Amino acid sequence: MPVRRLAGLASAKTRSFAQLLIEGRGPYARAFENLIVVLIIFSVASIGVESIPGLPGWAMRTLHVTEIIIVAIFSFEYLLRIVAARNKLAFIFGYQGLIDLLAIAPFYIGGFDARWLRALRLLRLLRVLKLQTHFLEKVVEERTRELAEKNEALVKAQAQLKAELEVARSLQLAILPAAFPARPGCQGAARMIPATTMGGDFYDYIELPDGRIGLVIADVSGHGVPAAFFMAVARTNLRELALRHTDPGECLAQTNDALCAQNPLELFVTVFYCMLDPKTGVLRYANGGHNPPYLRRAAGPIEALNGAGGLVLGAMPGVGFPTHTVQLSRGDQLVLYTDGVTEAFNPAEELYGAQRLVDEVRVHGSGTPAALVERICQSVTNFAGSAPQSDDITLTVLTWGAP
Amino acid sequence: MIVRIEALAEATCVIPEGRLDFDAAPGFQEALERVLGTAGKAPAALIIDAAALEYVSSAGLRAVLLAARAAQRAGVPFALCALQPAVREVFDLSGFSRIIAVHADRATALARARQGRS
Repeated sequence: MPVRRLAGLASAKTRSFAQLLIEGRGPYARAFENLIVVLIIFSVASIGVESIPGLPGWAMRTLHVTEIIIVAIFSFEYLLRIVAARNKLAFIFGYQGLIDLLAIAPFYIGGFDARWLRALRLLRLLRVLKLQTHFLEKVVEERTRELAEKNEALVKAQAQLKAELEVARSLQLAILPAAFPARPGCQGAARMIPATTMGGDFYDYIELPDGRIGLVIADVSGHGVPAAFFMAVARTNLRELALRHTDPGECLAQTNDALCAQNPLELFVTVFYCMLDPKTGVLRYANGGHNPPYLRRAAGPIEALNGAGGLVLGAMPGVGFPTHTVQLSRGDQLVLYTDGVTEAFNPAEELYGAQRLVDEVRVHGSGTPAALVERICQSVTNFAGSAPQSDDITLTVLTWGAP
Repeated sequence: MIVRIEALAEATCVIPEGRLDFDAAPGFQEALERVLGTAGKAPAALIIDAAALEYVSSAGLRAVLLAARAAQRAGVPFALCALQPAVREVFDLSGFSRIIAVHADRATALARARQGRS
């Protein structure tokens, strides 16, 4: 038993050695293959040399010695191929094996005189060259497959990233309030259309402890994931501070200081914040660098809430924001928007502009807030046409004292 | 958008042309950083000449704000000049014209830079 096992081990070792030399891709296999090619060329060339008449005896002897060495190496190679072959019979009687045998058999049968039969070795050369082409094709094939695999992995990773962004987007849209707090005689509606997957705009309705309603519209500089994160931080801070401050300007000042303290990306946000007393119609507001909202009076005229504002939030700590007060009449309508509305471009690179917005409010302001929001969004989308949306579009409309 | 840079004795002028929006902001920011960041050769003053600037988005404002802060840290006087009305409105609305010097034209801005140096 031990002897047989040893023999088995030895043969396994020999076979793996043979496979390394014959089928391997390493430097040894390449060197061996090149050696065989050189020997084939040399032996074929030597046929021509031997046929030169009157060759000196030493030259003939040298040629005979080299022929013996060449045949020995070819025989060794032939044996290696048999050892390395998985199906030995198939190799021996196959096209490759027969050609290899033809290259050495004439020597064993006819000795040096069978030199013309050595020309059969040219067939070997053809085979080796064909093998090399085949090897190259295999390399190309493998690289192509690797590339395809990498490409597939990339596509998969991108799809995953996209899916995660989709989740983030729905989370972001979910923190925007779905409905305006129900108050008798007080109606509101809002909409946000992000430019990229993640928007930097937001709006908020806050039910304050004293029965008033806080209304926020804001626009973070830039968009994408950083803007969305900053938006979430700004919205949370503002909401929390709004519950503790009855003065809008003071609330913005506190929010600004909080944002400046946690702003590693140096982003900023424009914020318009107002508080409406639904019982009296008194509106108090403060503006941190935001586009002044429009107030459409029930009687007809449209005015901008352009009381002096302050700096955008997050840019510099310790700045103040003046608070202004406006008395609303029954049926007055407040239109809050971000610059995604007025700065929408059409394919001719013209701006939508404030005038178009004011016109829409004038013509369609008598309906419900939801209808006006829908109407303005339609108007902006129609205007932009095929031009890409470059900024988030956000609108909030509030009607006080509506029947 | 195109950004040109003119190095004068009293100040380096950065001249943006076209629309400074979300797509153009990174390139503009890089140009400003390059002007300020040239080691040992900080300009005497940095002036953004906005005569050919047609539009500024919030991302563009941010690039200007970051440059103003970097200039302040480097001790380089920073100013804007020759704003078109629409751009001026954006700077006024955002409150930026209250924290960044804005001059009517380049001559005024350069004169102010000379005064600051003497």
